[in-house]
Amino acid sequence: MQRSFISRNPSVLIFLTCLALFTVTVTVMSEGSGVGIISTSFIKTLGKTLCLCLIAVAMDLIWGFTGILSLGHFAFFGLGGYMIGMWLMYERTRLIVVESLSQVEIPPTATEVTDAIGNQIFGVVGSSDFPLIWTFADSLFLQLVLVVLVPGLLALVFGWLAFRSRVTGVYLSILTQAMTLALALYLFQNDSGLRGNNGLSGLQNLPGVEASQDVVSLWFLWASALALGLGYLLAAWIVSGKFGSVIRGIRDNEARVRFLGYSVETYKLMVFTLTACIAGIAGALYYPQAGIINPAEISPIASIYLAVWVAIGGRGRLYGAVIGAASVSLLSTWFTGGQAPNIPLGFYTIKWVDWWLVLLGMSFVAVTLFAPKGMGGLVDLWSKRRTPNRHGADLGPSDGALREQEASQ
Amino acid sequence: MIRLFLAGLAILLSCLTASAQDADIQPILQEHQSVIAKGSRKTIGPAIHAIATSGSSKAQSVLETWAAKDMWMRKSDGMFFIGKQAEAKTYVLTDFDSGKVVGTFPKQALKQLKPNSGIRGMIGAALVQFQLMDPDKDKRQDALTSIQRDPAAAMLAPLRASIAGEEDAGLKSQKQRLERLLTIGYDQDTKARVAAIEEMSGDLGLDLRATLNPLVATTRGVALGEIPKDVNIATHLTPGSDAFTTEDAYDFLVRHALAPPRVSRGDMRAALTSNIDGGHAGGIPVVQLNTDAARSRAYAALAEAGTVPALVTQADIDAALAAYVFFDSYAETSDEVTTAARNALKSIGLKVGVNQALDLTLDALSLASIYFLAAIGLAITFGVMGVINMAHGEFIMMGAYTGYVVQQIIPNHTASIIVAIPLAFAVTFAAGVAMERLVIRWLYARPLETLLATFGISIALQQLAKNIFGTQARPLTAPGWLDGAMVMNDVVSISYIRIAIFILALIFLGVFVFIMKRTRLGLETRAVTQNPRMAASMGINPGKVNMLTFGLGSGIAGIAGVAIGLFAKVTSELGNDYIVQSFMTVVVGGVGNIWGTLAGAAMIGFLQKGIEWLNPSNTLAAQTYMIVFIIIFIQFRPRGIIALKGRAAGD
Repeated sequence: MQRSFISRNPSVLIFLTCLALFTVTVTVMSEGSGVGIISTSFIKTLGKTLCLCLIAVAMDLIWGFTGILSLGHFAFFGLGGYMIGMWLMYERTRLIVVESLSQVEIPPTATEVTDAIGNQIFGVVGSSDFPLIWTFADSLFLQLVLVVLVPGLLALVFGWLAFRSRVTGVYLSILTQAMTLALALYLFQNDSGLRGNNGLSGLQNLPGVEASQDVVSLWFLWASALALGLGYLLAAWIVSGKFGSVIRGIRDNEARVRFLGYSVETYKLMVFTLTACIAGIAGALYYPQAGIINPAEISPIASIYLAVWVAIGGRGRLYGAVIGAASVSLLSTWFTGGQAPNIPLGFYTIKWVDWWLVLLGMSFVAVTLFAPKGMGGLVDLWSKRRTPNRHGADLGPSDGALREQEASQ
Repeated sequence: MIRLFLAGLAILLSCLTASAQDADIQPILQEHQSVIAKGSRKTIGPAIHAIATSGSSKAQSVLETWAAKDMWMRKSDGMFFIGKQAEAKTYVLTDFDSGKVVGTFPKQALKQLKPNSGIRGMIGAALVQFQLMDPDKDKRQDALTSIQRDPAAAMLAPLRASIAGEEDAGLKSQKQRLERLLTIGYDQDTKARVAAIEEMSGDLGLDLRATLNPLVATTRGVALGEIPKDVNIATHLTPGSDAFTTEDAYDFLVRHALAPPRVSRGDMRAALTSNIDGGHAGGIPVVQLNTDAARSRAYAALAEAGTVPALVTQADIDAALAAYVFFDSYAETSDEVTTAARNALKSIGLKVGVNQALDLTLDALSLASIYFLAAIGLAITFGVMGVINMAHGEFIMMGAYTGYVVQQIIPNHTASIIVAIPLAFAVTFAAGVAMERLVIRWLYARPLETLLATFGISIALQQLAKNIFGTQARPLTAPGWLDGAMVMNDVVSISYIRIAIFILALIFLGVFVFIMKRTRLGLETRAVTQNPRMAASMGINPGKVNMLTFGLGSGIAGIAGVAIGLFAKVTSELGNDYIVQSFMTVVVGGVGNIWGTLAGAAMIGFLQKGIEWLNPSNTLAAQTYMIVFIIIFIQFRPRGIIALKGRAAGD
């Protein structure tokens, strides 16, 4: 008899409950609901953190389960943000322009409105014409479709090229990093059509919405929580089925799975594209809360931080990724925001704004060396998960496969 | 040419004979007495000319005295003297010719000649011929430089006259070149100019192009019916071609007030706004005026009523254009000269192109050597050991900062660089060994983890450098003898610092090959790379070999850091700028092979320069396209340009 999905994955239920509890608690304590214990800016931080957890889940799918260390997922995240940002910026500028043009004696023609919007948006890069990529910017629906489509398509093309030529391991990591760098450098140009290094701004203002930011931030928090919950469910469903077994097989020994007759490239490509789409959605929810997006957001370093979160949280388990992303990014905000108390040593005062990255880097090295399971490994202590016993032999023969020594640590 | 030479010789001879007689200058001054005394720019020309060509040895001193406002006229007889203030109101006069003091006179009896700036300019031009033959070499050089800076027709004759008498070979060739250039620009004789142009064509000097370009500069003209006969036509323009559209043509007519301006959308809108009458404009309700078609209709109605100028229709434009001819004409009237100049510029252009290609090649070569330098350490750690070291860029940065610190202690730049290079090696070697012992050793079986752990070290080191040295860029100054550039001609030049880096890259290549092929360490490294277990059973200690190899790779990164710091600003992000390119270099070249790294660096360097040349304004785009190209390149050669085969490939 087939056991139900939930009973096979008890962690899903626990996670969803925690997420729901968290969302309700935050909502009750927010300024938007009137209690006002949690400030609106912190609500936004929490909402953004939920989006980061979502992309961490995607990263865990591709890295922790499929064994592909992609250093390009923040590129997809950024692209998703750009896609929704285009509509937000276009629509808001359009409302402002129409408002100001209605003061003029003669009603404006459609061309005049478009030109004025173009001037408003692209004046900062010395242009006024709409580039081709803004063709659908006037339609929310189409831009929402593009949020998924553009990162997905890029991942599909890139992944097809990379997996087809059997680029694996660190080569693939470097190649994805190169792709991210290329995209960031391209967007940095003024004539890329996305306002160069100015990026898109004013995204926190939803066009046509009168509600205050206190309320809007809550909406986004709910949307992010919903997306994270759904993303987590999807990821849990994928990795618990046969598909999940195959991709874990690919992680542990790619050649053996190929010899068993599975089309390794197709599986990899599917996971890569799917995670890119999830990353795009996470980005589309993140940037309206951040308010601004520019090419610096998708520099290769951001993607590496993503890997750091997942590694610290514990890869190969979905809740590990969420824990890692949430704790590290919140800690990072706390330390770099200047809220952490300085430590006076007499001869020198440790300012955490300066020393946080050193601490992060070092603790990251420590986690890699001493606790490959990350924070998620702590759960094993409590759940008493048994580790495989191969009498010292490796679980998979290839480099990068999970080793017994790690699994039992 | 011979003719010109003879002409120059003749002038020179006349000068020589004149100076041999050494006539007195005072009679000539007296001949032009009234003009000189009057001091008007319009009439003074002949007087200056007469003095300058008098052949008297005193002419130069007269002109100089005059320009310096030291020439005085005695009112009683109108004679000119050098005046010098003796007491408050008395002046001592000296005769030009004899050089003897004539006597002391009160100021009332004298008149000081104060040439205005215009006249001083003319005197200065006349003086050039004397300065060009001045016994002092520096003065001759000054005179030449001033002509080069500000050439004029009047300089041509004195310059020619001065060539034959020039003794200094360097100055002589300068004078000859300048004479050719002035001939092209200002000679009266068209044949001489054409001859000079043809003689000089193929020369790469910027001065030649500066002389030729004004000759072929065109101005656009328009005429009713037929092209006027007296202009030197460059091209006949037909409206409607790509280079000269009908819009351009019509706008040109409008600019010259030959046709009524078109009514733009903005004009139409403004006209309608000012003619709103009771909610209607041109008979159409204002609220309906939100399309171009409605506005045109309303405007047409207004135009018919005569309140606004009529719309210019396409038919109007065509009719206006048909009535006129358009042409580009040269300011230079002689057709022969412009044709010769055009041909000369064409052949120069070809030569410039070839030289630019050479320059680009040199640029690419130096960029390739920079990438090679940055990547060679990585080629050892990644290529030979299979360890991916994300902190490689930070080792480069550490090397550069070591150079900076050394320069703070040793102010002499040459000495500090000599100290900095081994010190940077030592520092980064130690850092590399420490990292290998503490971190990487435990992760040999897990390359992806190595990547992440070294990345953790990388961000820690970067932030550490920021905490110690601050965020602003620190200078690492190259020694004086590396300043400047080796200039081959006006197009091709390469800075010495780039040559030094190229040589450094070659040295590294040699050192690396030597270590790998000729030393014990190299042998052991290769053995451990190929099969660690077998190597260990042969008595090699793989741990020690790995440690030393990693240290070597890191140390080379440190030296590369010093070299890169010499031309780039030293910041904590220095390594970041090179890390991706370095990985690209190693991956494209082929892992595990130094020649592959060389090929990879060459390919990336040439590619980047090539793309930059195609799109010169945009280095960001060049980098983007390069990375895209590399991603595609990996498709066809996944193991790089030089791929290892067989067992060494590790498959």
